[in-house]
Amino acid sequence: MVVSKICTGNYAAAYGSMRSRARTVAAYPITPQTFIVEHISEFINNGEMDCEYIEVESEHSAMSACVSASASGVRTFTATSSQGLALMHEILPIASGMRLPVVMAVVNRAIAAPINIWVEHNDIMPERDSGWIQVFCDNNQEVQDMVLQAYRIAEDKRVSLPMAVCLDAFILSHTVEPVHLIDQDAADKFVPQYKPTGPILDPDDVAAVGVFTPPDYMMECRWQTDKAMRDAVAVIKEVNDTFAKQFGRDHGGMIDPYLVDDAEVVLITMGTASSTAHEVVDDLRAEGKKVGLVKLRFWRPYPTDDLRKIAEKVKAVGVFDRAVSYGVGGPSFVEFKSAAFGLNLPVMNFIGGLGGRDVSLQDVRFMYEQLLEAAKTGKAKRDITWIGTRGVEQ
Amino acid sequence: MYEVRFHGRGGQGAVMAAQALASAAHAEGGYATAFPFFGAERRGAPVLAFTRIDEKRIYRKTQVYEPDFVVVLDEGLLESVNVVEGLKKGGVVLVNSTRKPEEIDVGIDTKLATVDATSVALEVLKQPATNSSILGALAKATGLVKIESIEMGIMQVFGDRLGPKIGEKNARAARVAFERTVVGESHGKRVLKTAEKWLPDVNNLPMGVAGVAMKTTAGAVGPGSFLENKTGSWKVFKPEYDEEKCTMCNFCWFYCPEGCIYRKDDRMEFDMDYCKGCGICANECPAEAINMVR
Repeated sequence: MVVSKICTGNYAAAYGSMRSRARTVAAYPITPQTFIVEHISEFINNGEMDCEYIEVESEHSAMSACVSASASGVRTFTATSSQGLALMHEILPIASGMRLPVVMAVVNRAIAAPINIWVEHNDIMPERDSGWIQVFCDNNQEVQDMVLQAYRIAEDKRVSLPMAVCLDAFILSHTVEPVHLIDQDAADKFVPQYKPTGPILDPDDVAAVGVFTPPDYMMECRWQTDKAMRDAVAVIKEVNDTFAKQFGRDHGGMIDPYLVDDAEVVLITMGTASSTAHEVVDDLRAEGKKVGLVKLRFWRPYPTDDLRKIAEKVKAVGVFDRAVSYGVGGPSFVEFKSAAFGLNLPVMNFIGGLGGRDVSLQDVRFMYEQLLEAAKTGKAKRDITWIGTRGVEQ
Repeated sequence: MYEVRFHGRGGQGAVMAAQALASAAHAEGGYATAFPFFGAERRGAPVLAFTRIDEKRIYRKTQVYEPDFVVVLDEGLLESVNVVEGLKKGGVVLVNSTRKPEEIDVGIDTKLATVDATSVALEVLKQPATNSSILGALAKATGLVKIESIEMGIMQVFGDRLGPKIGEKNARAARVAFERTVVGESHGKRVLKTAEKWLPDVNNLPMGVAGVAMKTTAGAVGPGSFLENKTGSWKVFKPEYDEEKCTMCNFCWFYCPEGCIYRKDDRMEFDMDYCKGCGICANECPAEAINMVR
């Protein structure tokens, strides 16, 4: 039976980990992720979730415990945010380097200083090259569904990499929406029992993992991980299709394009700005304006081919970033320019929504107006625009 | 689409009310979302929560700027917040108050409903948690959802968080409030103003948002600014001090999280400009010399 329930993104993430039968959870609470940890401990306390919950003294230990548990062949889950993710930083490439399919929910929140608890993607951007697969969600249904999909993707033997499911602080984590909660039988069918593909820590069948590796082996090792990230693109699409077939919900795979086929301009967004932009696209279409939207779902691996194909057909592209790489522009903008290298079209970067500043319907409309203007003139008014920033020219 | 804005204070449960309303609308077959906007995460600080209700999926993930309905959980907020800001024409304002609708001035002519949600909550729940009562009143004042759906929504959201018994009690509070809600008209004479905010541009914001004491057009900011920004209006209860019973043990001084209690000669002094009425002093006082009263 499919039950639709009003719940928060935090609940959806916790519920997804329960239905995926995560067997070890090690996490440390931090606003706005705290409810994920609380829900999981409730599930365990109520006997709904058969799981070892490891109380740790920090996020560094949380990720270390997840790595160890995963290395012993157990499905693991954790969740964090902002400073907590930063504290995990040292262990993140260890999870990917050891090829462990740890799954983590990251509630994206601004990184200090100044202290700010609201949404921003600047916390996960430093983890871009950590070897973690990263997906950005724009609704709570997707959060639950992507936790399940994450295990299928991460545990696939062609991949064997950890994966982060990202959700915007408060806008998803603390917002309730109707979510079709997946029942255990359906979940079991989709995420079968975890069978490790590599050697595991087992006293009866001894293996060494994460070992000291001299230069003679390092290039090959790095190449393997790089290939796994490249191969993940096909696996992500496969898993998305399998999920859509079983549950009737197609989240789009690497990207989720909306009305791009005949579009003159497209805006590329990550996280919940995508959802707001969806409504603005409908409004502008009703006014006869040929605008489209590309919801950039996977940040790693990056959908280079998919985006380039779209860029080849349009007259201007905008990239909305809820993060900034100081002195350079938005990280997503920089990445897209590389994907669109050599194509002769104006590309505009819009930086906005930092530290929880509201991204309003008018803000998104403003971005599309700028893009339509650029499509007409063939030239971007300016490369990087800071949306609604007092004292900065728009 | 209908948009509802809740004005409350931290700890009054505006967020749970917004969620229970979404749950009620969803139970009626609609699509609904609810979300909070937290300022400082402190009990008593003004908070906002929002609910959106529609027949089809709601995509916008923005704050609510033009609500159809405004719910005020704490009448005291009318003095510092322009609660009708952006209210759509034909909208409804609901205020937790002992007064009649025509006695309340929100600065505009509007349909307005009142309910003494605090008394209902004290009667039914034995504590001033007005979030469930106000939802019953909202059903009566707006007809947005049925009272039965509100009861169901409360049982789900409150029940999930606080247990089914508390869920049922809160549903009862909503029903009682539904019966006692007075719907009327209000004519605005005064001008309600939201306290001006200090919003410097990039050239005037101190580097790194360093908190230096400054006088701005919106008042003092930085260290020492709370000499002006008094927070004593946040409380529902205030401490009543019985000098005769007091043994001067100073427990109240030690436990007060706001540093509002001082020893002065042979008695304790309470700084009501900053007391938030949390009641910790009364709870800790071994001589029962402090009572919390409304």
